[in-house]
Amino acid sequence: MANTGAVAALQAALAAENAAIFGYGVAGAHLTGSSQAAAEQDWTGHNQARDTLAAMISARGAAPAAARAYYQLPFRVHDASSAIRLAAYIEDGVTRAYLGLVAVSDQRLRRFGALAMQDAAQRAASWRGSTLAFPGLFPPAS
Amino acid sequence: MLLASAAALPLLLGTAGCRASDVFTGPDPLAGRPPLGHDVLTLQAVIAAEEGMIDLYRAAISGDSGKHRAARARTLRALLAQHEQHLARLKARLIVPPGMSASPSPSPSPDGSGSAFFSAGPVSLAQLRAAERTSAANLVRRLATAPPALAQLLASIAASDATHVTALGG
Repeated sequence: MANTGAVAALQAALAAENAAIFGYGVAGAHLTGSSQAAAEQDWTGHNQARDTLAAMISARGAAPAAARAYYQLPFRVHDASSAIRLAAYIEDGVTRAYLGLVAVSDQRLRRFGALAMQDAAQRAASWRGSTLAFPGLFPPAS
Repeated sequence: MLLASAAALPLLLGTAGCRASDVFTGPDPLAGRPPLGHDVLTLQAVIAAEEGMIDLYRAAISGDSGKHRAARARTLRALLAQHEQHLARLKARLIVPPGMSASPSPSPSPDGSGSAFFSAGPVSLAQLRAAERTSAANLVRRLATAPPALAQLLASIAASDATHVTALGG
């Protein structure tokens, strides 16, 4: 049962990473200069995270879920401003996905999830230009 | 049922050959406070550390007399407000027996997470960054033994602290 919960949490994180890879592909096409370089760097990071998660899932005897061919974007991305908003949205979602790993019984997975949350929250703050009190947990006060 | 049982107690004691005053000698084992659970102790320690962080930010804001202090104060106040939100959420989760404090008595914390970690005097951005890094690391260390929901709150606060390091120029 514990392994089932861990695999489900890893699959959720993998699904978020796959969506992030797709989303950065869209965002990057609308960015230039240092923003585009940052998007490429984050895209590469999400690819590496996807591979890490896939290996962790396989090591537990399960098949990593495949990426979808297309993901519905949360809003229309047509310029640099909306691309940057998408990047922040992606990282908020990735932070939330890793939060699931923090609740599993495996202590190493908890730590792994928490550190991945920190990375994603830092990227989100960088794109948004501001920090949140509870990344991944509670939505920002409006 | 309870009254009936209480009324029967002297009779039972008498049957056993002892008086009521003979039964409990020394400290009354029924009058003690319940031992605090591990999650309560964790929350108390994290609350104390968060209070220390808030004190540190207030000292940094009030003691800043350098150039660009207005802009710096805006940043620090925004981060301070988030630490105050952390504290409120942590305190809302804490349930302690009546008569006991929400925070442990102030004493130096071996892991550097308590208020005693912070010294008096001017507080630099570098000190704030170091405190945020230490806080994030301590929170992650506490995840191993925390119940799942508390672990998620601590991980979220740790992620917030990690973003503060960057916001402070780290």
